Amino acid sequence: MAQEKLYGVMAEFDRAEQLIEAVKQVRSHGFKKLDAYTPYPIEELQHALGHEKSLLPRLVLLGGIVGGVGGFLLQYWSSAIAYPLNIGGRPLNSWPAFIPVTFECTILVAAVTAVLGMLALNGLPMPHHPVFNVRRFALASRNRYFLCIEARDPKFDAAKTAAFLWSLNPTHVAEVEV
Amino acid sequence: MADGSASVTPAAPTPLIAPGHTTASVTDKIASVVLQRTPRWFYPAFGAAFLLLMLFLYAVTVLLVRGTGVWGLNVPVAWGFAIINFVWWIGIGHAGTLISAILLLLRQEWRTSINRFAEAMTLFAVACAGLFPILHLGRPWLMYWLFPYPNTMSLWPQFRSPLVWDVFAVSTYALVSLMFWYVGLIPDLATLRDRSRHWFARTFYGVMAMGWRGSSAHWHNYEKAYILLAGLATPLVISVHSVVSFDFAVGVIPGWHATIFPPYFVAGAIFAGFAMVVTLAIPLRAVFGLHDFITARHLRNMAKIMLATGLIVAYGYVMELFFAWYSGNPFEQFMVINRITGPYRTAWFALILCNVLVTQLLWFPKVRRSVIGMWIVAMFINVGMWLERFIIVVTSLHRDFLPSSWGMYSGTFWDWAVLIGSIGLFLSLMFLFIRFLPMISIFEIRTILPKRSRGEVS
Amino acid sequence: MTERRWSAEEERYRAPAWLDRVQRRALLLGVFAALLSVVGALLSPEHFFRAYLVGFLFWIGIPLGLFGISMLQHMTGGGWGLVARRVFEAASRTLPFLALLFLPLLWGRRSLYVWARPEVVAESELLQHKQPYLNEPFFLGRALLYFGVWLLFALLLSRWSLQQDRSNDPHLHRRMQILSSLGLVAYMLTASFASFDWLMSLDPAWFSSLFGIHFVVGHGAAAFAFLIVWMRRLSGTEPMADVVAPRHFDDYGKFLLAFVLLWAYVSFSQFLIIWSGNLPEEITWYVHRQEGGWWWLGIVVFALHFVLPFFLLLSPALRREPARLALVALPVLVGRWLDLHWQAVPSLELHAPLLHWLDIAVLVAIGGLWLAAFLWQLKRRALVPIHDPHLQEALADA
Repeated sequence: MAQEKLYGVMAEFDRAEQLIEAVKQVRSHGFKKLDAYTPYPIEELQHALGHEKSLLPRLVLLGGIVGGVGGFLLQYWSSAIAYPLNIGGRPLNSWPAFIPVTFECTILVAAVTAVLGMLALNGLPMPHHPVFNVRRFALASRNRYFLCIEARDPKFDAAKTAAFLWSLNPTHVAEVEV
Repeated sequence: MADGSASVTPAAPTPLIAPGHTTASVTDKIASVVLQRTPRWFYPAFGAAFLLLMLFLYAVTVLLVRGTGVWGLNVPVAWGFAIINFVWWIGIGHAGTLISAILLLLRQEWRTSINRFAEAMTLFAVACAGLFPILHLGRPWLMYWLFPYPNTMSLWPQFRSPLVWDVFAVSTYALVSLMFWYVGLIPDLATLRDRSRHWFARTFYGVMAMGWRGSSAHWHNYEKAYILLAGLATPLVISVHSVVSFDFAVGVIPGWHATIFPPYFVAGAIFAGFAMVVTLAIPLRAVFGLHDFITARHLRNMAKIMLATGLIVAYGYVMELFFAWYSGNPFEQFMVINRITGPYRTAWFALILCNVLVTQLLWFPKVRRSVIGMWIVAMFINVGMWLERFIIVVTSLHRDFLPSSWGMYSGTFWDWAVLIGSIGLFLSLMFLFIRFLPMISIFEIRTILPKRSRGEVS
Repeated sequence: MTERRWSAEEERYRAPAWLDRVQRRALLLGVFAALLSVVGALLSPEHFFRAYLVGFLFWIGIPLGLFGISMLQHMTGGGWGLVARRVFEAASRTLPFLALLFLPLLWGRRSLYVWARPEVVAESELLQHKQPYLNEPFFLGRALLYFGVWLLFALLLSRWSLQQDRSNDPHLHRRMQILSSLGLVAYMLTASFASFDWLMSLDPAWFSSLFGIHFVVGHGAAAFAFLIVWMRRLSGTEPMADVVAPRHFDDYGKFLLAFVLLWAYVSFSQFLIIWSGNLPEEITWYVHRQEGGWWWLGIVVFALHFVLPFFLLLSPALRREPARLALVALPVLVGRWLDLHWQAVPSLELHAPLLHWLDIAVLVAIGGLWLAAFLWQLKRRALVPIHDPHLQEALADA
C-alpha cells in the first residue's frame, strides 16, 4: 500500500530546456496528471503542458461591467431618486458628472476580480502542499526546475515512474509523500 | 524583445543586468538585502526618518486638538498646504504605476529593476496624499461620511462634486496599487520563505506567500492576472490625476478652469514621480551595491522620460499664457499678470527655473550620464512640482473676482511641520519596506536574464 | 532628382507592381472628384469651402500623424515602426503637396473665418481684442511657419534615412534620433497652433486650451488606422509579406486602441470641464452641437471613433488578424472625418444640412490626389530601411 501514501514522484532539473524536453516526453508517454514547478514563468513550458486558455480575462470583463453598471446606478439612484436635490441648476441625472465615479468603480471591481479570480483559479491560499515535503523543492523558488508526476495518474507506478523519470537526465528524483 | 533594447544607441549598448549573473546569483544577491542582519547605517537613517514621523504625529495631534485654525488657511485661500501637499504626493505616486503598468504593457524590460520599489513608492506616497484631504476636513473622524452607505440621515454623497470623485479615485487607486504590488510580491515572498533560516521569518513570509509553489499552471493564471492588472492600472493612473485636476478645473476660478488641466496634470505627475524615483534610486543602489541591476541605462531612460514629461508641462504653461490672452477674459488675464508680477512672483519664477529651465539640462547626454547631475536635476523637479501646486492653489484663490475679498496666504509652523513630517512618514515606510521585502522583483529579473545564464548551475 | 541604380539589397525590397495600378486609379478618381468639386464650388462656394476645410484637415492629419509617429519611433525604437518606416517617410514627403492644397483655403478665408471680415470685426470688441493674433497676414505667416517647420524636419529625416540605406553610416541613426526629439517638440507646438488657426478660430469667441492636444491625438488615431489598412494591403504580396508579422499588427492594434482611448479621454475631459463650468463663452459651442441632427452625429462619432474600436481591439486574436483589424480601422477613419465635420460646420452655419454632396466630393478629390502622391513617393525607395541597425531584430519577429 506504499503507493497510496505517495502524492507523486518528482524529478529535478538544472536547466529549463531539460524540463521542457522532459515534459514533452512525459506527455507523449501518456501521463496526464503532472505539473512543473519553475522559479519564473516560462511560456514554452505552458504550451508543452497544454495550459492555453485562462478563464480570467472573461471574469475580469464581467467584473468591469458589473462595477461600471453598478457604479452608475448607485449615483443615478442616490442623486435622482433617493435624494433629489437641485445643485447649481444641474439636472438630477447629471450623467457627465457621474462618469468619473462610474469609471473608478469599473476599474475597482475588475481589479478585485482579477486578483481574487487568480487566487481562486490557483486554489490559493494553500498553506501546505505535498510538494513542500521534498527538501530540495525549496530551490524551485531559486534556480531549479521540477517536474512532478502525480499518483492519481492512471499510469502511475512509483517504481516504474521513478525509473522513467531517471531516464530523462534529471539531477535528482524523489518520491513526494502526502 | 526588440522594443526593450532598441531605445539605446547601438554604438554603446549597455546591458540591463550586469553580465555574469545567473538565476541563482540574482536570487541570492537581492534576497540577501532582506535576509542579512540589519546593516549598521540602517538605525541612524531609519531613526532620522522616524523622528520626522514623530513630528508629523505631533503636528497632526495639535491639529486635531486645536482645529484647522493652526494652519494658515483663511478666506479667500481655504485650500492651502493641505491640498498642495495632497496633489504633490499623489503626483509622486504616479511614476510607480507608470513604471509597473505602462512600461510592462510596452514591453520595456528595463522597468524590471525598478518597478518593485517604484510601486512601493506609489503606495507610500498615496498613503501620505490620502491623509491630507482627510486632515483638511476639519472633523477628520467623520471622513466615512464621504462614502455612499445607507445611513440614518438618509443623505448621500454629492456625486456632482469632483471632491467626491476624488474619494473614489484615490481609494480605488490605493487599493489597486496595493493589490498590484502584492500580487507582484507573491513569488518573491515564496523565495524568501524558502531561503530564510529564522522560524519567524519563515512563518511570516510563508503566510504572506499563501503557499505559492511556482506551479506552471499557477504561473499561467498569474501572468494573465498581472497583465490584466497592468491594463487596468494604466487608465486608472491617468484617471486619478485627471480627477485631481477636475478638483480645480470644474470650478470657474481663473487659473483653475482650463480644459488642458487633465493631461497637463497627468504629465506633471509623471514628471514629479520620476524625479522622486531618481532621488531614491541613486542613494539606494549606492548603499546596497545594486549597480548591477539599476544600471546607467535605467538612469538614462528615466532622464528621457523626465525630459519628455517636463516638456509637456512646459507646453501646459505656454497654453495657459496664450489662452489667458486669447480668451479675452479680463479675469484670466489678471490672473496671469498677478502670477508673474504679483506678490507671489518669486515662487512663479522659481517654478519656471525648476520645472522648465533646469529640466532642459537633460537634453545633454553628459548630464544624463552623470549620477550627481541627475540627482540634482531631480531635486530641482521635486521642489518645482511642489511650487507648481502652490502657484495653482494660492495665486488663483488669493485674488479672484472681487478685489475687496483679496487676501494673502502663507504656511504656518504647523503647515510646514505636517509637510516635512509627511516626508518622514514616507521615508519610514520606505525604510521598513527595503528592510523586510525585496526591493527588486527577483522573479522578473530571472526572466530578463539572457537565456544562456538562466538554466546554468550556480 | 536623377534616377540612381538600386543596390541588390534595395532591389529585394522594391515596391510591387500593383502599386502603379492603385496609384492610377486614385489619380483618376481624384481628378474626377476634383472636377465635380470645381463645379460645386461655382454653384455654392460656401459649401465648397467648408467641405474643403474639413477634407483638407482630415487628409493632412494622416501624413502629419505618420510624421509624428515616425519621430516617436526613431526615439523609442521598436520593430513595429521599423518595418513601417518607409510608409511614414513617403507620407511625410507628401507634405509639400499638402502645402499646395492649403492655398484654396486662403482664397476662401473670408467665407470661412468671421474674423477675416473687417465689417464683423468693426462691430465686435472681442474680435478687436483678438486681432493681433487673428488677422490675415499673421494667419498666412503662421501657416508658412507651420509648413516650413514640418517640411524641414520631414524632408531632413527622410533624406538621412535614404543616406543610411546607401552608406551604412552608423552615426545617422543617432542623428535621426536627435532630430526626431527636437522635431517632436516643434511638431506638438506647430500642430496645436495650426488647430487653433484653422479649426478653433471658426468660432472666434470660443476657446479651449485642450484643443491642440485633441487635434494631435486625432492625428495619431487616423494615422494608425491608415497605417493598418495600408500595411495590410502591402503585406499581402512580396516583398512585405515576409517582413510584416502578426506581432506587428498586434502592436498597431494596441496603438490604435491607445489612441482611441486617448481621444475619448480628451474629448470627454474638455466636455466635462466646460459642461460643469457652464460659462456662456464656452458652453455655447456645445449647446450648438446638441441641436437637431448634430447631437446624433456626435453620438455616431463617439461610436465610430471610440465605442466600436475600443471593444473590438481588446481582443488579441482580432489584433493579430490583418483583415479583421483593417475592418476595425476603417470606421475610425470615417469617425475622424465626421469628428472634424462635427467640430467645424456648426460653427459656420447652425442649421446646415448634416451632410452636403460636396462634402463627399471634396473629400474624395483631396484623398485621391493625396493617395496618388503618397504612392508615387512610396515607390521611390526600398520598402524597408535596409541599413537600420535594428532591422535584423525586427525581421526576426516575422
